[in-house]
Amino acid sequence: MTADVFLFWFLAFMTIVSGLGVVLMANPIYSALSLAMTMISVAAIFVTLQAYFLAGVQIIVYAGAVMVLFVMVLMLFDLKHELQAFTRGRATGAIKIATVGILSGLVVGAVTIGLTIGGKNQAEVASATKAAGIVDTTRGLSEALFLKNVFGFEALGVLLLVIAVGTVALSRSKGGTHARD
Amino acid sequence: MPETNIITTIGPEHYLVLSALLFSIGMAGVLLRRNLIVLLMSIELMLNAVNISFITFSHYSGKVEGQIMVFFVMTIAAAEAAVGLALAVSIFKRFKEVNIRFFEHLKG
Repeated sequence: MTADVFLFWFLAFMTIVSGLGVVLMANPIYSALSLAMTMISVAAIFVTLQAYFLAGVQIIVYAGAVMVLFVMVLMLFDLKHELQAFTRGRATGAIKIATVGILSGLVVGAVTIGLTIGGKNQAEVASATKAAGIVDTTRGLSEALFLKNVFGFEALGVLLLVIAVGTVALSRSKGGTHARD
Repeated sequence: MPETNIITTIGPEHYLVLSALLFSIGMAGVLLRRNLIVLLMSIELMLNAVNISFITFSHYSGKVEGQIMVFFVMTIAAAEAAVGLALAVSIFKRFKEVNIRFFEHLKG
């Protein structure tokens, strides 16, 4: 067993366990900490897939900014106790869990069957990857982002401006954190 | 066809199955939890699972377009978290609890 194989299994285990922690922890602050752990594991998985720049962005944006936002809002709420963390009712809960189980089984089965049928092409894909050999990933990424997809990039900028104005308007409205009296 | 060992040979299907499992965990969280904050966290989990599969396909096909899409997904996720948390604060100010059953009273 080589080092990268061990690394994959370790990271997969960490991701799944901390992802389960997000859903199963009754206290929201522990959920937030589990989510931070999941984000860091996902960033490490990006590193094993040689997406170094996106791993850095993942750590800065998710584990930094978004998680701080979540934890700050949780501190603002001061949730001492949480009544009824999960949905009420055994029947609907069983239906929901069965739905999730069927979905995950379908997805995993489709992926495995699809890749077994297409398994003949795997050698070709591997050789193509080696031939393509994105040597300088960050450079290729920036060229694709700023030359080919520049319209989407600018549209995202406009979207972020709209979101920022909308959030400020929401917090100034009746019932928000900075409501006018 | 020689039988490749599934434990010691890591291929794209390993990453895709991991992504599917993470997505299902996030979906279970969205369906089962009642706390609005945990609901938003589960949505972030699902978006991260999608990001893993994008990067897997980008890596194994040798193209960078998948990574561009991950940039867009990250931006949308940050924006969605900001708006969702503003709504959560607005619910908490009125009802002193963040539970999705108060969403219907938010009108007006």
